Amino acid sequence: MPLEAVITNCYILVSVSPLDVLRTDHTFGKHTRTRTQTEEERMFGRRAAQLCSELAQNDDDRLRRFDNDLFDQVIEEANEHYHQLETRMVKMQQEGLDIETTQNRDYFGALIHHLSLVRNKRCLMSYVYNRSQSVQRLRWQLGAVLPADLQEKLNFSEKEFFKNYSDLLGSYMTSIDLDLTVDTTPPKDPYIQVRVMDDLGEVLLDDQSTTLLRNSIHLMKRTEAESLISQGLLEEFTG
Amino acid sequence: MSSYYDLEDLLAEEEPVSVLFRVAADGVGILDPSSEDNNVEQGAKVDLPLWLAQDLFQRQAAFINLPSYFNQRVRKEMQADPGCVDIRSRCPYFYGVGCKLVPLTNDATLGSFLLYTLRGRYKDILCKSHSAAVSSTPKVMQILSREETILFQAGRESMTAFKKWRMEGTRMERAAVLGKKRKPQGEL
Repeated sequence: MPLEAVITNCYILVSVSPLDVLRTDHTFGKHTRTRTQTEEERMFGRRAAQLCSELAQNDDDRLRRFDNDLFDQVIEEANEHYHQLETRMVKMQQEGLDIETTQNRDYFGALIHHLSLVRNKRCLMSYVYNRSQSVQRLRWQLGAVLPADLQEKLNFSEKEFFKNYSDLLGSYMTSIDLDLTVDTTPPKDPYIQVRVMDDLGEVLLDDQSTTLLRNSIHLMKRTEAESLISQGLLEEFTG
Repeated sequence: MSSYYDLEDLLAEEEPVSVLFRVAADGVGILDPSSEDNNVEQGAKVDLPLWLAQDLFQRQAAFINLPSYFNQRVRKEMQADPGCVDIRSRCPYFYGVGCKLVPLTNDATLGSFLLYTLRGRYKDILCKSHSAAVSSTPKVMQILSREETILFQAGRESMTAFKKWRMEGTRMERAAVLGKKRKPQGEL
């Protein structure tokens, strides 16, 4: 324990900014001091909440890069809580107290670390879960192959997840012999007019090869156009 | 009720509330900025995130004081004209925090105050979300809480969808994940 305290103190010494010193000097009285900014950042569960707010404030549906740094920091904090929790429990056992019924200072210290651990876990789970939902949507919107700039925003497990999910959906669609990702809005006409957004070269459409040039307008099968529109290569042409 | 993975619910629980410790706790000095050893003493008054305050209250380890944005002054202001009160600067999760505090406080009027507030502001939010131009950010959004912003955006989206349907616009679109801006490709 003493070593623990020394380390914590060192950390405070290193991380205090001049502004913090100013703020602490004048507010010495008990119960009157508010937390400084550095202390605020070290508050239990604060980084985990930061991680989640990054995701929640993302209004325009764009996927951001997986925040490995912050994610690891939260895991680090959780480890610290676990370590502290264990220390308290061992101490209570050594004093011959019954952990289930005693409610002393150590018990409440342990309780707070336990609650923080649970909270951090919830934040991490929520981060991973909500991202996995976005990854699932990618399969429906963009098909089995992701563009390179999206690829690099996923971390390793998310890439694995995408691949497995894609395979699963693919094999299900093969078994029922139906492409579920097309006709998400009920079609009025099996054919559709589209404008090409980029030089795509030779594309196999309706069993014959067609050259799609930028800004040219084509009439093609709706089912074939839908995935290309979703990928941003074509645009529905109304005019 | 909210789910375990709900981000908005999770962030509402991060809002600070003022708490009075009924017990002492060792090894959690960071919670109390005025403690000199690594402990929190009995009777210490500190700001804790709601998730921690909630559980400590349920275990009778702490009292919770209502945050200042639920005090009488704000309530009077709200009675005068709910639509004009700036909620966002007071607490972005006004309703979320309020709902969570209802079972934890002995103030029986809190629940009805929240309902009164939302009822007073709802019509205004709905009208403005339907009439505001799509690309601009109307002034009213600056005073909305996070929950109200979500309502506002839902209203706006339904209006855009309705207009599109009436004009018989395009029905298939580029996926939103790719972003809105088109890259100037293929121009040599």
